[in-house]
Order: sequence, then structure tokens, then C-alpha cells
Amino acid sequence: MPSSNPLPPKENALFKRILKCYEQKQYKNGLKFAKQILSNSKFTEHGETLAMKGLTLNCLGRKEEAYEYVRRGLRNDLRSHVCWHVYGLLQRSDKKYDEAIKCYRNALKWEKDNIQILRDLSLLQIQMRDLEGYRDTRYQLLMLRPTQRASWIGYAMSFHLLGDYKSALNILETFLDQQQKGNNYDYEHSELLLYQNMLIYESGELKRALIHLEKREDQILDKLTLKEILGELNLQLKQYEKAAKYFEELTRRNPENTSYYNKLIDAKELIKSEDIVQFYLVLADLYPKSNPPKRLPLNYAVGEQFKTLVDNYLRQGLRKGVPPLFVDLRSVYNDKNKIEIIEQFCCKIFPNEVNNGPKEPASALLWVYYYLAQHYDHLNQTEKALMYIDAALEHTPTLIELFVTKGRIYKHAGDPYEACKWLDEAQALDTADRYINSKCAKYMLRANKVKEAEEICAKFTREGVSAMENLNEMQCMWFQTECALAYQRLGKYGEALKKCHEVDRHFSEIIEDQFDFHTYCMRKMTLRSYVGLLRLEDVLRGHPFYFKAARCAIEVYLHLFDEPIKDENIEQELNIENLAPSELKKLRNKQRKARRKAEQESALAAQAQVKRDQYHKAKQQGDVETDTPHLDELVPEKLAKVEDPLEQAIKFLQPLQNLAQNRIETHLMAFEIYFKKEKLLLMLQSLKRAHKLDSNHPKLHSCLVRFHEFLSKNRSSLDPTITEVLEKEMVVLFKNKDAAQLNKDYLDTYCNSLEAVLEGAKMLYYLNSKLQSTALGLVTNLDNKYQDVNIRTCNNVLKSLKKGDFGQCDSEIDQFMLKCQTLFPHAVDFRSPNSMTPCESNHVPPDPENYSSN
Amino acid sequence: MASEQVVNGASEDSEEKSQKKSAKHDCGAADLEKVTDYAEEKELSTQDFSGAISLIGDQRNKQAAEKIAREKELLKVVIKKEDVDLIVREMEISRIKAERTLREHHGNVVNALIALTN
Repeated sequence: MPSSNPLPPKENALFKRILKCYEQKQYKNGLKFAKQILSNSKFTEHGETLAMKGLTLNCLGRKEEAYEYVRRGLRNDLRSHVCWHVYGLLQRSDKKYDEAIKCYRNALKWEKDNIQILRDLSLLQIQMRDLEGYRDTRYQLLMLRPTQRASWIGYAMSFHLLGDYKSALNILETFLDQQQKGNNYDYEHSELLLYQNMLIYESGELKRALIHLEKREDQILDKLTLKEILGELNLQLKQYEKAAKYFEELTRRNPENTSYYNKLIDAKELIKSEDIVQFYLVLADLYPKSNPPKRLPLNYAVGEQFKTLVDNYLRQGLRKGVPPLFVDLRSVYNDKNKIEIIEQFCCKIFPNEVNNGPKEPASALLWVYYYLAQHYDHLNQTEKALMYIDAALEHTPTLIELFVTKGRIYKHAGDPYEACKWLDEAQALDTADRYINSKCAKYMLRANKVKEAEEICAKFTREGVSAMENLNEMQCMWFQTECALAYQRLGKYGEALKKCHEVDRHFSEIIEDQFDFHTYCMRKMTLRSYVGLLRLEDVLRGHPFYFKAARCAIEVYLHLFDEPIKDENIEQELNIENLAPSELKKLRNKQRKARRKAEQESALAAQAQVKRDQYHKAKQQGDVETDTPHLDELVPEKLAKVEDPLEQAIKFLQPLQNLAQNRIETHLMAFEIYFKKEKLLLMLQSLKRAHKLDSNHPKLHSCLVRFHEFLSKNRSSLDPTITEVLEKEMVVLFKNKDAAQLNKDYLDTYCNSLEAVLEGAKMLYYLNSKLQSTALGLVTNLDNKYQDVNIRTCNNVLKSLKKGDFGQCDSEIDQFMLKCQTLFPHAVDFRSPNSMTPCESNHVPPDPENYSSN
Repeated sequence: MASEQVVNGASEDSEEKSQKKSAKHDCGAADLEKVTDYAEEKELSTQDFSGAISLIGDQRNKQAAEKIAREKELLKVVIKKEDVDLIVREMEISRIKAERTLREHHGNVVNALIALTN
């Protein structure tokens, strides 16, 4: 236990004060005491003091010195647990958790029962999800400190996380038995009981959970949660009367919570829609001021009843001018009859009443136009939507929502530039509205105007830093992902990758951020939320934000694999060989000038870098907590010249395979990567997983055909084991058909879907290039046989044609674009490049007689 | 050492002005600084935990023994090196995981591969 070089009492007291200062964050004082020890000639090389000095320096942001001192200290005293512990803490602060664990283990070698080290080790283990190691460490802590509450809770928690509910409950019960004699029902005790209840519930013993809770009702202070759990348990145990009682109380408490209504319906065992509507009508009388009992019956009512109900609902909304009225009702638009009833009311009944009587306010007309614009936009009737939004603008030219909607109509019609124009207009009407500001920035990015978007965002970001940098600091992921997509469209692949990597780093950071909660939650006894947090962090990269960024990164990397960025120097050198001497001289001069300019620029950049570093350093000293380790700077040029694009793509793919395995796109992307890597079994894996999710997905079909073709070409060179695996698995995927047959059957089955036919036709050409004209005919003839002719599908066809999936076909592309242009006059993608100037679309306000026309 | 600190101090001063502007957004950071991570654990009233402790210890030993038995059973399975190599190469997974999957399938490489492609 003692170090090899113990200090005499006076110095030892000083050393204790260094430790105290470290704990209390009085770093400057700590350094002073360290200096006092080290200035004594006998102790200039005292290991533990040097190490502590290093650790303190680290907290002041002086990282390099810190490492130097800690390492020197360790070298001078390799058998000191303090030195090893300190080295571990230093590594931990640099997020090198594996290294830190090793250091702690070394420290424990010299002092196996040190509580502080064991505690720190357990934190790292839970952070790294070494659950078994965590359990063992918590066991040691319990043995050493059985009188501390945290020891028991931590040990129980370790079993809970391992899924061993019985052991976890045993430990908790033992602990509570010992403790309960005090009879002090504070909030922490109440939380602990709720945690215990959660454990019982998760172990599947609902009955026991219910009894457990009912017995301790008076000890639990969180009454809302108590009632919610009691209601839920009764519901799941089919004790409907009791459940209904709890949910009735809860609805009274908060009549705006829709989930209470749904549970109440379950508890009352209402199944027929008429009964459910009736149920809501009763509650609407009971809670006249709350919205759910008015809105929710619209989901169930049909026919005449729906008509009267929606009449009321719309009337109220339009009278009051509720802007999100359409968004609120959008979910009933999956029923054609309901759409018709709503249209009738908004186009005929209501406007007539407004015009012919003083019953309704004049402003209601504006809100009807606004509603109808969104209504027709939703139904893809662009012209009508534009007509109504213009009528609304005519009525009130200062309502911001109208501009946003006009922009959105253009966006849906395929013209992001015009859309962006209207959003800019909206933004200008109220520059202090951050929502509009962000919306505008997003529309600008959709129109590939990255610079403008950044400038717009700068109105709300912190002064002194560039908007791009600040948005990254604030983890503003929607912006960065849209940026990445814009760069991808512009072909700036390095920039796009930079943004994707930034988003990826945010996710790493969020995972890092959980570290503080391991101690905090245990101490504050917020165990249920803590378990929730751990589970969230485990699936963090399953979040749609990550998916979007990862998909972009994978697509870019796949593109870079097919078409790597060429090194400019090499290309130039190649050209030089064919140059005349005089021209060569000119070129050299030019190059020299360019180089000088580049040098000047890089010098400037270096200066800026120094300034930025100083800024970061200053910030770090002010804010010790966020001393994130210095990550490699993301340089777009370097990212674009990646050497192993497929491996990089796999890095983005793997979290998706683990956490987004229920999205078919994950497996389709995986197939593309492994197809390029020619990894047969991994292709098979992606196909099997995709097949399980949706065996008829169009994209999956083309993967299957290509896989089949690849197999038949390489069959002879395969490892016999692999052949055996494939033969066993292929029956499900191919049903013993050859590639051509598979494709023919697919084309026959899905002949009325353009999306499916596109993939089938692609494969037709892929398998036999002589069938080019047949394949082209299938996708470019947009007559009535396809039910899904829309901007998206047609755009996919166009992209595919341009990419060369059907070979050389320039005249077909032109014809197809002309056809689409008549179908979708606003969509810019179908306009030929020379007519790119966005057409001026000043819609004349419609004359009133047109309103009622359907 | 001392001279170094002086240098640091000077540079901080010169930057103070430029920081003033951003500082107004950072109010609260200073208060946060005073919070320490360090908290004294409350001791429970000493009671007789020994009975409970020994019970937990017994349970733990039993579980550990079961686990070791399971691992031993797995280790008995004979696997071929070239099979492991194939799995590692084709599925791009770690050696440890490849070996374990192969053992779990009693050394049958085809079944192991089918399981891994699921």
C-alpha cells in the first residue's frame, strides 16, 4: 500500500492538501502545495506528487505538461497505486477508456481494496458496457462497503442490466428489509420503490408488481406515475373496471393527454366505432375546453356523423383562425369519403355562409383559402393550391404562414428555387422569428444555396464565430445533414463527407456525455430514468438523424469508389509530356505563381489556425469540463481522396445494421457495398435480411438479379463450403428460377407500378443489352398503365437513364424529359439545362366564380 | 515555470476584450465551475448485513461455477483452423466471434455461416 518513497509527516500533510484541492477544484492552490513539496531538494522527483501535479495541470487545460508530469511520476514510482490511478484518470479525461481500464487494473494490483479506484473502474465498465466486469466490480464494492446505500443499488443494477431480474430483486429486497426500520418516506425512497416495481414488471410478474405497488401506495410520492402504472398494470391484467377508474382520474387531471383516452377506451372494452364516437361525445361535454374529445372522434366517425362533427370542428378552427388546422386534420385524409366531405364544406358551405351573412367573421374567408391551399397541395393539385394561396395573399398580404405555404407548394411541385424565394420573403417579414429563419435556411439548402443558408442562420448564431462553426458546436444536425445533401447534389463530395462525419461525431459525443450520469443518477436515486438513459444510449445511432447522415455518407463513398477523385498533379505531369518547350515554360511560370499564391494563402490560414487554437485554449481554461480531446480536423479534400471508400462506408453502415435493421434500405445499402467488395456471403446476408422485411421491394429485386448473375458467372471458382451454404439458402430467394425468368416474372406481376418496372427494365438491359429498346420502352411510356407516376418516380427514371443504366440513349432522355415537363410543369429537374432560368410564375388571383369549381 | 505563467497571463489579458462579447452568452458557466463532482457518501446506520452478504456471496459462486461449466463445454468442441479463417474472411468479423459461433454450432462450418447470414 505505501509508495516506495513515503513522505515525512509535514510533506505528507501537504500532499493530502493537494488531493483535497483537486477534489474541490482549487487547482491553483493544488499547484502551490505541489511546488512546496517539489522544491524540497529531497523530493524533487517524488512520483506521487509529480503525478498529482500533472493531473492538476490537466484540469487547467495544459495537456502536454500534464502527460509529461504524470509519466515522469509513474516512472519514478511504478509500484504506487496513486500514480497508476492518476494515469488512468488522465487517460479517461482523454476518452481513452480501454487504456484507462488497464491503468486502474494496474493500480488495483498494488492496492486491491481501494474504494476510489474500484469506483472509477466501475464507471468505465458501465460506460463501455462491460456488464459482467461491472457486476464483479460492484460486488467487490459491496463487500468492502456494505453499509453504503450505493453499494447495494449498484450491485442490484448490474444484475438488472444483465437481465438477471431474480438476483437483482433479491439484492434490493435484502437491502430494503434492512433499511425500512427508519420509516422515512422521502422522495429518494419513493423513487427506489418505483425502480423496484419496474424490475418486477420487467421480470414479467405483473400480478406481483401490482400487489407490490398497492401495498406501498402511501410511500410513493410521485402520484402521477403511481396512477399511470396502476392503471397500466390493471389494464394488462384485464382488470378493466379498476383500470378504467385510474384512467378516468388521469383524464380529469389532464384532459389534453390523448393516450389516457386511448387507454380508457381499452379499459371500457369499446371496439365498435359508433361506441367510441359516443364515448368521446360524452367526454366532450364533460371537458368542454379540451381538444382531444373533439378531434379524436373524427378518426372513427363516418358518413353523416362525420359530416356534422367535422362541420363543427372546422367551423370553430376557421372562425378562430387556427393556423395548424390542416396539419391537425391531415391524418383523416387517408379516407377518400372524408376528404370529399371536407372539400364540400370548405369550398361551398362555409364560404357561402361567410359571404351571405354576418354570422361568421370576414377573416374566416382567409383561413378557408389557406386551408384549401394546403388541402389541394396535399392532393398534388398544384394549380388549385396556388390559386387559393394567391387568393389568401390577396386578402391579407402580411400573413407569414401564407408565404411558407406558397413555398411548400412549389417545393412539392418540384421547384426548390421558387420555393426558396417565397421562404426568403417570409423570413424578411419577421427577422426575429427563429422558426421561419430555420425553415428558410432549410429551403435554401434544398435549392443548393449553402452560402446563403449559412448567412441566414448567422442572424441567430453567436457573434464572433462563423455560423457554420457555431452550428456544429451546437450540434445542429438538421442543418448539417441538409448541407451534406446539398453538397452531394453539387458534386462537392469532400464537403459532403465532412458534414456527415460531423454528425457522426455528435453521436459519439452524446454517448460520451452519459459518463457524468453514472455517478449522478445513482446518487440522486433517479434509477428509472437512468436505466432509460442507458437503453437510449445503446440504440442511439438508430436515430433517424443518424440514418439520414449515414445514408448520405455511404452513397458518397460508393460514388467515390466508382469514380475516385483524380490527383491533379499526376494528370498535369501526364499532359506535360506532349507540350512544346515554349508552352512548357509558360506553364512552369504559371505554376510558380500559383504556388506562391498558395503559400501566401496557407500562411494566412496558419495564422488563422493559431488564433483559433488560442481561442479554444482560452475557452478550455474557462470551461474545464468540456476538455474534449483534440480530434483530427476534417479536411474536405482529404476526405474526398479516401483510399478505402468501401471500408469507410462500412463504418457508417455497421451501426445501422445493428440498430436500424428493420429498415430495408439498410440492407440494400449493405448489398451495394458488399457487391462492390465481392463478398458473397455478406451479400447473401443483406439479401436475406431485406427479403424478410419486404420480399417484393423493387430495389431488392434488382439486387437479387445481380446476385444471381454474379453467382452463375463465378460458380466454378467458389469455395465448396460457400457453395453449400448458398445452395441451402438460395431456394427461398430464387425459388429455383434463373435470372431472366426471375426478372420476367417480376415484370409481369408488377406491371402497373413504374417503380417496380424501372428496376425490372434495368435488369432486362443488364442481363441482355440487346433488349435495350424494350427496356427503354417500358420506362419511358408513361401512359395509363402505371398507377404511381409522380415526380419522385419519374425523377428516379430520369436519373437512371442519365446514369447509363440503359446504355446510350440521349434522344430517349430528351423525349422523356419533354413528356415529364408537360406532366409536371413546375418541376425543374425535367427542364432542359438551357431553359434553366426559373420561370416567372405570377399567378393572377382567381376570380371568385372559380372557387366553387372542383 | 514562473516565466511561463506570466506569458500565459499576458495573452489572457489581450483576449479578454474579444471575449467580453461572447461572455454574455456564457453566464452561468462560472457558477457551474464551482460545482464539484465530489460528494460524500452517506453511511447507513450500521446493521447486521453479514447474513445477507454471505447469502449473496453463495449465489454468486454458484452462478460463476455454472458459467465456467458452460464455457468448458464449448471449449471441448473441436474446430478447424481453416474453417475459422474462412468465416473471418467471408463475414469480416473478429476471430473471437468466429470461433465462438463455430463452437456453438459444434464445428459445423456450413451451419455457422448460415446462422451468421441471418
